[in-house]
Amino acid sequence: MKDELARIVTGLDADYADIRFEENRKTRVAYRGEELEEVASYATSGGHARAYAGGGKAIASFSDPAQAARIAKSVAASARIVGAKRDKPLRLAEAPPIRESFPLKPLKDPRTIPLREKLDLAAHYNEMILREPSVLTTETHYDEFLSNRVFVNTEGSVIIYDLLVVNIVGTIVTKAKGVVQRVRFAFGGDADYTRVLDRDEELKERIEFARQLPHAEPAKAGLYPVILDPSEAGLFIHEAFGHLSEADGLQNNPAFRERLQLGTPLAKPLLNVTDDPALPGLPGTYEIDDEGVRGAKTRLITEGILTGRMHSRETAAEFGEPLSGNMRAVDAHFTPLVRMSNIFIESGESSFDKMVASIEDGYYLVGAKGGQTSGDQFTFGAQWGYRIENGRLGPMVRDINMSGELFSTLEAISMIGNELAFAERGGCGKGGPQQLNRKSGKGAPHIKIDRVTIGGV
Amino acid sequence: MHNLIETAKQQVDQAELYWNRAHTISVRYENGRLQQIAENDLSSVALRIIDGGKMGSTFAVSPDQPGLIEQAKAAAAHGDPATFSFAPAAEYPSVDGYDPATGRLTSDELVALAESALEAIRSRRSDLSLLADAELEHRELAIETTEGAKGSFETSDISLSFGAPIKGAGMGVYKWRGAVSPFARPDELIDEFIEWYGWTEKISTPSTGRLPVIFAPDAAFLYLLPLWAGIEGSAIEKKTSPLVDRIGEQILSERLTIIDDPTAPGELGARPFDDEGVPCQRRALIENGILNGYLLDRRTASALGQTSTGNAVKRELFGSGTETKPNPWPIRITIDPGETSYRKLIDDLDEGLLIYYGMGFHSGNYPQGQFAVQAIGFHIKGGDVVGRLDKTMVSANIYEDFRRIRAVSAERGPSLAFLNSTTPYVLVDSLQVAGA
Repeated sequence: MKDELARIVTGLDADYADIRFEENRKTRVAYRGEELEEVASYATSGGHARAYAGGGKAIASFSDPAQAARIAKSVAASARIVGAKRDKPLRLAEAPPIRESFPLKPLKDPRTIPLREKLDLAAHYNEMILREPSVLTTETHYDEFLSNRVFVNTEGSVIIYDLLVVNIVGTIVTKAKGVVQRVRFAFGGDADYTRVLDRDEELKERIEFARQLPHAEPAKAGLYPVILDPSEAGLFIHEAFGHLSEADGLQNNPAFRERLQLGTPLAKPLLNVTDDPALPGLPGTYEIDDEGVRGAKTRLITEGILTGRMHSRETAAEFGEPLSGNMRAVDAHFTPLVRMSNIFIESGESSFDKMVASIEDGYYLVGAKGGQTSGDQFTFGAQWGYRIENGRLGPMVRDINMSGELFSTLEAISMIGNELAFAERGGCGKGGPQQLNRKSGKGAPHIKIDRVTIGGV
Repeated sequence: MHNLIETAKQQVDQAELYWNRAHTISVRYENGRLQQIAENDLSSVALRIIDGGKMGSTFAVSPDQPGLIEQAKAAAAHGDPATFSFAPAAEYPSVDGYDPATGRLTSDELVALAESALEAIRSRRSDLSLLADAELEHRELAIETTEGAKGSFETSDISLSFGAPIKGAGMGVYKWRGAVSPFARPDELIDEFIEWYGWTEKISTPSTGRLPVIFAPDAAFLYLLPLWAGIEGSAIEKKTSPLVDRIGEQILSERLTIIDDPTAPGELGARPFDDEGVPCQRRALIENGILNGYLLDRRTASALGQTSTGNAVKRELFGSGTETKPNPWPIRITIDPGETSYRKLIDDLDEGLLIYYGMGFHSGNYPQGQFAVQAIGFHIKGGDVVGRLDKTMVSANIYEDFRRIRAVSAERGPSLAFLNSTTPYVLVDSLQVAGA
């Protein structure tokens, strides 16, 4: 396969071209309540071709490898059409050709575990939840995604690499006094099967939170100082800031490009934010991206100053900034986009107790529950929260979300906790058509923000 | 259609083959420049079987991929007993969703369509960082079951979206038009874009408290998705919905009649059968505010002792495609228009909001009918639009707040945000509004 693909790209009338071909294996088990809704284990495949020619770019996804040569040729021709319409040619930053394989070596390889065992494990966690009387229903999923990828380009790169993610994730739905609430859990996120084993204690904690939550009062809307737990703080830095550090979104947005020049102060000196695909065992860990560039650590914010951003070869050339190896595609149906790997807020010095003690009237938000951003505006939910009154944690609250504007919120980060923790489930939507990337990690310690809009009733 | 079903008949109790083929071309403009041309040629297959009374599924690129039935059998060996059977033979309506003229278009025509729209905008606003996408899709879906269902249909669609980010804000103003057949430059939509963009240039902060809110067609998902979550079969089966056992009750304002209209001929998204091969049907979900029925696929219908309503769709809130299992979804929602013009809805408001998007929808407790979002839209005062909203939160419970609707407009507009919908502007008597 790789030799045939390499022959196809080198014969193209293009300044640059690449083809990625994937053989993907997925295993899914889905429980809803007591019902086993889905057991599936299967293989699919497909390819994606890109070309730059005459200053323009074109792309194509295809299912049938026998069509690869025809499609690659058509892509090169389309790239010229784009180039002819542009007053400003697209260019690529120099990148060394790579001829190498990147096999995975997980501690315990899920590929060696029988389907029955995976199903029993999901059933075990699901049954633990169903034993709690206030549980209305559950969603418990085992998800495994293995991708064997071949990448070739016109510069001589021939790269063979694997991606593998294993997760057990779910939702605990509880009801009391007519109030229905949802608490999530996620184990795994890495290639290593041991990460989904022996998680009963953590699950018990989540079930207990889910039991309590319908009894909590809804949060009261208003402006408050807040503490975000590592899950919510990781979501905040990923969604609100991280996406604006992906250079493809910024490339053609003059207003934000101007606002986000390297060297711009964005926060107090206590804030450091990094994107690092080399951190072991996290959802966004990888060695090589889908453009044949090695993944590299990028210091995005250093002591409050914007010091880096994530790039493709095209955006690195456009911005005159170093390559970072962040160009990734979910699967062969999609073109690579600039994506965060593992983005995180680095540890600070404050203890959680000290952060709580510093707040007279505020909230503590726990557990990321999805969020949305548009430019510098963001809204995030939390699975639950607590009142903070006179420096003490008060009662649990439900139906709480926060919203605001990125730049003023970054400036309002006033304390950073001393215990960094990473989420075990990645899930980042980007692009049109939307690509939901599971290989996306995020982390943070607890953080305190002096002023955030809390939504509620 | 394919001998896989013939083979399956010999080897398993039941089988269902779903085969989707799509050819798409799209052109994208960023900051006013053509950025890329994309072309996809994709095929995907889902096979579900019942073997030894148990259900299993598998997926592939084509039905010719070797070992499909064996893979599905291996999955079924671990499955639970099947609770439903695959679709029997049925008559399918004709929906006429394919125009060969669309199928024949090339990237050149898409470039021309996008450029004509961008030129028209530039001649009036040369200062904007314009985005545009023009896309076409030719799709063929075939379904066959061992129980006798057998059908295929072709659809074509062409769409154009364009807009620009608002200077100094994270939001933008974007407009979208799609159709089965090729269309000319949508001048009315361009006029509306120019007017709306003009409204964004000043920030205006509304009073805090309860205010009337107009939902533009683009924002219909904010109240339709909570409604979907309340009427979809799984939420009824698992009793997580607030609408369990409430058919025949008044749950929304009598001004709202909400119809699922999958078979309207020549309309975008129309289809003769659902993703399980069950015929689609036009059906009122809400009639004058009264709950008329639930959305069921074969699984949930069987669990509830009813029959499928033909609403099985391979999608979830964030994800869709061949590898997604069928779930109950509306296919083409329409809301009956009213008699008031949308201009008059605005003119008559002392103070209120007109919103066209809400951020953070899925963070809220929408399965219970609630949403709390950052409202994207405009502030209305003394009957005039006085500026755009900034850091304004709007929260609602549709089963309380959407019982009091003052008016729905005569004009209707389309949206593809989460749901395929065609809706009027809906003026809700009052919602909770909070600012920063």
